[in-house]
Amino acid sequence: MSVRYGLLALLDEAPSHGYNLKTAFERRTGGSWAINIGQVYTTIQRLERDGLVESLGSSAGDDERREYRITPAGRAQLATWFENPVVAEAPARDELTIKVLLAVAAGDVDVTALLQRQRRASIEQLQAYTRRKAKADPKRDVAFLILLDALIFRTEAEIRWLDACDARIRSLASAAAAPPTAGSKETDG
Amino acid sequence: MTTLVELDGAARWFGAGHTQVTALHPTSLTVGAGELLAVMGPSGSGKTTLLSLVGGLDKPSAGRVVVDGQDVGSLKPRELAILRRRTVGYVFQDLNLLAGLTARENVAIPLELDGRSIGEARAAANAALESVGLASLGDRFPDDLSGGEQQRVAIARALVGGRRILLADEPTGALDSMTGESVMRLLRAHCDNGGTAILVTHDAAHAAWADRVVFLRDGRLVDEAHPAPNPELATTAP
Ligand SMILES: Nc1ncnc2c1ncn2[C@@H]1O[C@H](COP(=O)(O)OP(=O)(O)O)[C@@H](O)[C@H]1O
Ligand SMILES: [Mg+2]
Repeated sequence: MSVRYGLLALLDEAPSHGYNLKTAFERRTGGSWAINIGQVYTTIQRLERDGLVESLGSSAGDDERREYRITPAGRAQLATWFENPVVAEAPARDELTIKVLLAVAAGDVDVTALLQRQRRASIEQLQAYTRRKAKADPKRDVAFLILLDALIFRTEAEIRWLDACDARIRSLASAAAAPPTAGSKETDG
Repeated sequence: MTTLVELDGAARWFGAGHTQVTALHPTSLTVGAGELLAVMGPSGSGKTTLLSLVGGLDKPSAGRVVVDGQDVGSLKPRELAILRRRTVGYVFQDLNLLAGLTARENVAIPLELDGRSIGEARAAANAALESVGLASLGDRFPDDLSGGEQQRVAIARALVGGRRILLADEPTGALDSMTGESVMRLLRAHCDNGGTAILVTHDAAHAAWADRVVFLRDGRLVDEAHPAPNPELATTAP
């Protein structure tokens, strides 16, 4: 989805050919979103099929040299994309959410330890992102910094969610450990 | 790496017998020069207790706390006061800036208490304010500064006079993300220049500026994080 609109946005500026589009796309996205040239050609073919871009001239069969430009229909679709908010496609279907849900249900999995292992891994990731942020130049590397912020805040949100799971489980455990009638703690829990 | 802070089986409990609360179980930890350490953990897990021990605001019930080579538990009140004025700076959660004093006067307090001349204290306060990017706001009163600026005054006061160990208890709590980031850049710079900082925070994005993150839970250190070696940025496009 993003590659499709990314290429449209680049072609909206000037006609271009596949290899240029690949390098420009990677530069725009902070130098860290690698796409392969095959993906560029497949995407362009679909855009052409849908009438959103057209090929200039006819260097038949030679993918590398063929230049493309955006059509009015392509321009309209790009504008619509920028004007509309992005809505998440499938919430809560990621592996981590499912793992935690299953661990809670399983009963014999140490959920607290699982959450802490995940928290540590996420913080370590966050530390690595932050090191790169600390080294980046706030003026020259704006695209890169915006991308890093996206990754950082997503990871931070994941950690907050882990903390919330943890707090929920703790409050359940402490409610279970303090029954309304005191003084019946002979058996070990 | 020179060790600036060491906890050696340090513990702190309150009360006795049946009502005793153990805020910190015996804990060992060292923090070196140049290191930024973050402490995370749920509320009530002992973070403030640990920081107060390092800052000499409190003494361990057992074990030792050694700060810049001095065993904090065995210092006399006068020696502790000197340690706090010359070596360890503390940024409190609620900042503790004095409303009736200007930013510069607030920053100069530790040096004046330490018996330096007014001129000397003033010059050092100006230098500290400059290091936190507030050179032009020295004459303002705390109420006329934004939250982020007050925060930086509190940091300048904690660092004034070249104190090497900075302790901060949730200093970025109420700051927006860019302001919080600028505070973290200050702490990072302090450590990159050979200082040490211990930051208590519940904010993972701020903790991530640290070289090491330790996790407290029910008064015990339970885990430790170090930066991942190869950060995966947005991978290949879907
Ligand atoms: N002066 C005190 N008297 C009794 N209990 C205390 C005192 N200070 C802290 N505690 C208890 O010690 C535990 C740890 O507190 P604290 O270090 O403030 O936690 P945190 O900063 O992680 O929220 C808590 O259970 C708290 O109630
Ligand atoms: Mg606290």
